[in-house]
Amino acid sequence: MRIIAMSLCLLVSGAFGAQASEGERIQIKGEIIDTWCYYSGVMGGPEAVTGSAHHTCALWCSAGGIPVGLLAEDGTVYMVLKIEGDANSAGGDTQLNLASHEITADGMLYQRDGLNYLVVEKVVTDHGITNLNHEDYGPIPGFAIPDPTQ
Amino acid sequence: MKRLIMILAMLASPAMAQDFSEGSEAKTWNLYGESPARFEAKVVDILCEMTGDCAADCGGGTRQLGLLRKADAVLVFPNKNAQAAFTGAALELAPFCGKEVEVDGLLITDADLGAMNVYLVQKIRTLGDAEWTAANRWTKEWAKANPEAKGKGPWFRRDPRIKAQIAAHGYTGTGAEAEKPFIQDWFE
Repeated sequence: MRIIAMSLCLLVSGAFGAQASEGERIQIKGEIIDTWCYYSGVMGGPEAVTGSAHHTCALWCSAGGIPVGLLAEDGTVYMVLKIEGDANSAGGDTQLNLASHEITADGMLYQRDGLNYLVVEKVVTDHGITNLNHEDYGPIPGFAIPDPTQ
Repeated sequence: MKRLIMILAMLASPAMAQDFSEGSEAKTWNLYGESPARFEAKVVDILCEMTGDCAADCGGGTRQLGLLRKADAVLVFPNKNAQAAFTGAALELAPFCGKEVEVDGLLITDADLGAMNVYLVQKIRTLGDAEWTAANRWTKEWAKANPEAKGKGPWFRRDPRIKAQIAAHGYTGTGAEAEKPFIQDWFE
């Protein structure tokens, strides 16, 4: 319902293409994902590019400076700009340490031109990696785990 | 319902009605939702733009940078550079911080996933310049910053931070010992 309300608000206010909106304090539970693989579909559907199946790739992308996002339980993606004072959102250590983790984050939400941006003021709870889907999908991409027999 | 709202939002956005493909020489990545897009923009520090928390030189490649499109004032978010190597765009855009530029690349739009104004930048030039800069410097800059990791194979197999994460938590993040049976089974 919150998403519907916010989307309608954006439509009515014509905020798309306008200047940055005021921040809104929110608390969200979700998984730290790599946004490029998720949005582009370069490695398949969204279910396969999350969780333990995609953990190594999430490390590569986070260290490589690809933006990380918080994928909430309702499917909304929040682009993470800062975590607990660490503004190094292009390859920083804080976000790397949280790759694939489910966290509960408290912070400020900003919306602009169809994307959600999140400044995490506090990681309230780090639940660890809870989406254990590697048995279902195998490593994504397939070469993420080197063949130990090679 | 969320999908319906997203689609309505996209239809209601005048920016989405615009076509930025004219003159684009972007190479396809054969991605769902990609469209070539060449446009003029100002390179901005997104955190600074949103919150007023600004850094010198836009963070020098450590912060995510955006493209404030000249035609419609839409903030485009470059998630990716031109290399097929798990590498982002901030480092490519950092030398152009605060400048008016022209970019060429691929816009990614997927209403089902909430992807709007997401971009893969392939080349950049300061407005007025004739020469383009290819957005493919990331791996060279990584090599300069990590001389101890010199060796064969792609950067992501040699990166000290990634290796430390995998050593500590395994390839799946569940722990090196815990994932051993899975890996053995997978490669049988």
